Formats: sequence, C-alpha cells, structure tokens
Amino acid sequence: MTSFAPTRASLWSRYRLVAVALIAAVAFPFIVGLLSGQSPAAVLAGEAGNAKFLQGLAIEVFILALYALSYDLVLGVTGLLSFGHAMFFAVGAYASGIMLKSFGWPFWVTFIGVLVAAVVNALLFGLVLPRVKGIAFALVTLGLSSVFFIVVQSSELAKYTGADVGLQGAPVPEWIDTNVHRFRVYLITLAALTIAYLIYRAIVRAPTGAVLLANRENEERALSLGYNTFWFKLFALVVSSLTAGVAGFLWTVQQPIVTPQVAGLGWTVAALLMILIGGVGTLTGAIVGAAVFRLLEYYLERWFGGTAPVLVGASYIAIVLFLPYGIVGTWRARTVNRRQGLDRLRRLFGIRARRSQ
Amino acid sequence: MSTAFLETKHLRREFGALVAVDDVSVQVAEHSLHSIIGPNGAGKTTFFNLLSGTLAPTSGSVFFRGEDITSLPVYRTIHRGIGRSYQITNLFPTLSVFENVRLAVQATGRDNFRFLTPVTKFPDVLQRTSEVLEIVGLTDDAARPAGQLPHGDQRKLELGMILAPDPDVLLLDEPTAGMASNQVPELMELIASIRSQGSKTIVLVEHNMNVVMSVSDRITVMHQGQVLAEGTPGEIADDERVQEAYLGTLYDEEDS
Repeated sequence: MTSFAPTRASLWSRYRLVAVALIAAVAFPFIVGLLSGQSPAAVLAGEAGNAKFLQGLAIEVFILALYALSYDLVLGVTGLLSFGHAMFFAVGAYASGIMLKSFGWPFWVTFIGVLVAAVVNALLFGLVLPRVKGIAFALVTLGLSSVFFIVVQSSELAKYTGADVGLQGAPVPEWIDTNVHRFRVYLITLAALTIAYLIYRAIVRAPTGAVLLANRENEERALSLGYNTFWFKLFALVVSSLTAGVAGFLWTVQQPIVTPQVAGLGWTVAALLMILIGGVGTLTGAIVGAAVFRLLEYYLERWFGGTAPVLVGASYIAIVLFLPYGIVGTWRARTVNRRQGLDRLRRLFGIRARRSQ
Repeated sequence: MSTAFLETKHLRREFGALVAVDDVSVQVAEHSLHSIIGPNGAGKTTFFNLLSGTLAPTSGSVFFRGEDITSLPVYRTIHRGIGRSYQITNLFPTLSVFENVRLAVQATGRDNFRFLTPVTKFPDVLQRTSEVLEIVGLTDDAARPAGQLPHGDQRKLELGMILAPDPDVLLLDEPTAGMASNQVPELMELIASIRSQGSKTIVLVEHNMNVVMSVSDRITVMHQGQVLAEGTPGEIADDERVQEAYLGTLYDEEDS
C-alpha cells in the first residue's frame, strides 16, 4: 500500500530561500557602499551616498511588498476581489499620522492604535461580505474606499489630514528617523516584511489557509463540506488589514508627507499590478512584484524622463502577455511560452495568431 | 411514535411561476437505501438541495432524527451527519486529490482555525484521508490536481469527499452521472458495499433503472415535482402509472 501525504521538509530546506534572501538583503548596502568607495562604517553611520540612497529605495520596496502581500492573501489566496484595498493601507498611514501629530500620542501607543484601526477597518469590509459576492463585492469595497478618499481630502478635516496637500510633519522619534538611521530603518522594514511573509506562508500551509484556498477554488463546495466560509474570509480580511495597516504606518514613519494618493483607486491598482507581475497567490510573487514595480517605475523615469509612463505601461503589457502567471508563477511552472506570448501580442493588434495552440 | 429517520413534510419549492417540488412528503428509514427516480425535470435535484439545506423551501419542512432541520444552512448539515454529493462534478480543481479529501476530513474536526500549524502536523486527518483514498481507489492519484482526473475518477473522488467525514446519511445525487457505462458497475459495487456494512442511510438519485431496481430498499418516483408512486422495487416495476408516465417520457427524452 502506497500512501501519499505531504512530507515534512527539513528545517534548512524550508527556510533556505528566506535565509539566502535575508543575508543578501543585509549585505546589500555594504556591497553598494564598497562598490562606490564607501567604507562599511560610513554606510552604518548613514553618510550620504549611493548606499544610503538605494537603501531608501529598498525601504519603499519593502513597504510596498508588505502591502502587495496583504492583497495577495485577499485576492490570490482567498479569491476575494476587493477594489478598496488602498483603504487598508491608507487607514494605517493616516491613522498613524493623525495619532502622532494631532493627538500627540507616543510612538508605541500610535502603533497599537493603528492595529486597532486596521481591525475595525477589516470588520467594516466584513459587514459587506455576507451580502455581496464576486464583482459586487469589488464595487462595494471600491465605494467604501472612495468615500475614505473623499473624506481625507475634504477641507473640513484639513487640520488632521492636510486635505489634498497631504499629511506633513508627523513627529517621529529620533531613533527611527530615516534620515539619521537609514540602515536601522532598512533593517526594521526588512524584518517587518520577513515576519509577515513567514506568517503568511504558515497560514497558507495550515488548516485555516487550506480553507481559504478552498474558498478561492469553489466556495459552494467549501460550504457543503461544512465550512462557514464567512469566518474564514473575515479572518483573511483582518490579517490582510493588519498587514497593510502596518505597511501604512511604516510609510508614514519614513515619508515626509502622506498624500491622498495612497487612498485612491490607483493605489489599489498598484497592489493588483504588483501581484500580477509577481504571480497571483504565490506570496513570494508579491515581494518580487513590488521590487519590479517600484524599480521599473524609478529607473525608467530616471533614464527616459517624460516617456517613462509609456514604457512602464508597455512593460506591464509585456509581462501579462508573456508571463501570464507572473514571474514566480511562471518560474514554478518552468515554462515560458514565447510563441503563445507573441500570439497574444498579435491578437492585441487585431492580427490573427500564426498558429492555434 | 412513528418518526422516520429522515423525513420531509409537504415540501414545496417555487422558482417564479414554476413549482419544482410540489408537496413532497417522503420518509426514509434508518439504514435503508432509498432511491428517488423520475424523468429529467422531475425535481429530484431541487428536492436534494432542499434536503441538504442548499436551498430553502418555499414551504414545508425537513426532519432528521425527529428534529426540524429545515432552516439549517448547508454548512451545518454535515455536522449533523448528513453528507451530500453533487450530480455535476464539484471539486477544488487545482488542489490535489489528497487535498480535496483532506479538506473534507478537516471540515468536521476542531482544528479549522489553527492557522500557524502546518496541515502535516495533524496525523489523524492525514490517516483518515489515506483511508478514504484507499476505499475509493484513488491512492495512486493522490498527488494529481483534481481537475486533471478522468471524469470517472472525479466521480469516485466526489464520493470519497462525502464519505470522508463518515456521515450517517449519504445523499447521492446521480453518482454515476456522465460515467462510461463500463465504469458504472465498479462505482455501484462500492455503494452496495457501503450499504451492506449496514451503518449508513443512503438516499440515491439515479437515472439508471437497472441499477436502482437491484440496489434499493424503497423507491420514490417523482414526476413534475410531485410524488407519483412509492414502494419496493417490485411494486414500482409493476405500477402502471409509473410505466406510463415515467418510463414513457424517459424513453422519449433519453433516446432522442
């Protein structure tokens, strides 16, 4: 009798990828420093230079990755199409700014406050869950986040939110000031991302995560197997909102200004793009996608100036056409079908595909 | 007291002007195999959806062990011991065969909100999953995505998924639907062996008359949403109304 069960991998093989990535990430600023003639001590001291600058860019990537990861849990794992995901991030960003600046709360109290706000936000989305499904859920969540978008821009609340200018000057303790302690903030955001990723990976492999995947695959069947899918979807929303809320918190901590842009539809689309680029439902894809998303945007802008948006758009189209399962998804399947990609490109321009299949 | 094990009273379900199930009262005895037959559109699947809580009836009620379970949502019925399979294959297509069954086993356990411990650390669930795969003969296909199985094997998996939590009542909605005719006996033997163990009550919807006649204790014939006749296989075979209404339309429709 052969019996199949998922085998338990050794500790090393389970954490190999994470360990290698972590070591590379920690070494990265020093390697950049050495290449541009800065000593490791100078990099540690946060002296101006290439290393400091690239760390700043990497911090943004880590925070975006945290945000993309939170969207992957909702859309990629649970199969809930939310068009209001930006609100999860923006509530974290604005709540921390307001608590620090207007309420004058201490740093750690603010952090707890953000977590509470994130849970409340998830419960608000949860109210919608049993009432609408599929595309209707997408539209209602879009509505919720649009209301939030309008509220943060309203002049009545300018005292708190800075209206359409954005929230500036939230006081951040010196020990986590990104201008002074760049490498420390770099490590903190890296640690936040790593912890979130490990927790997410554990969730997907645990009984609860199995039900989330089942919900994505076939909710009707999950119900008839005896799962009250509502609680599982709510669980995904709460975990996702907490993650995105922390991402928003970190955003406020290291950005001089929080603009209403982070509450807009564009910010939700950014999350969608990041996981599409990386591979929907793969978790690692969210991180890879965030890196590609931010770096592509930055470097194309730097090299090509005004034409960059066109090139960014073209790159996204190319990725969707040639890597329909995203970078990580395609890597896992180990197949890149160049001909299929070219055929899709031809069809996009109304030219008949060269061959079927 | 004559409370049946599973019983419906004056069950009725309307879809707009259409009455799909009309005043259906059926009593299923414990540990029996009770078949529901009838031509296409007779309301068999709707009746099943009402029994399993997938749909709420317009009026009437469902009793299980003397308790009213009419308003019980579908995700609760399995916890009461009523499992239901689908006529149309209804699986988690990209998950492995093993995972499909494992999810069915996990559902009735208490670990559904363990969210950091890997599923591999629940040996009882894994053990039961392997057992079920053995019963339905899919052990060798455990690692394949369910959506890639041949249709006949998907039907076996479907059966495995309702056997997994070991329910008292099996509601089987055309378990052989769409199967190649040479595969049907194998699946029916499986059902017959479950039946002969004597601990399960089975309600079976089936098109195949020969199958139903040989395996059933009682048969209810439905026609246009109503119960046309009920009795032992012998009585049903001899019933003129059944021959007229059911067999007539069956051959008209099925052979066209």
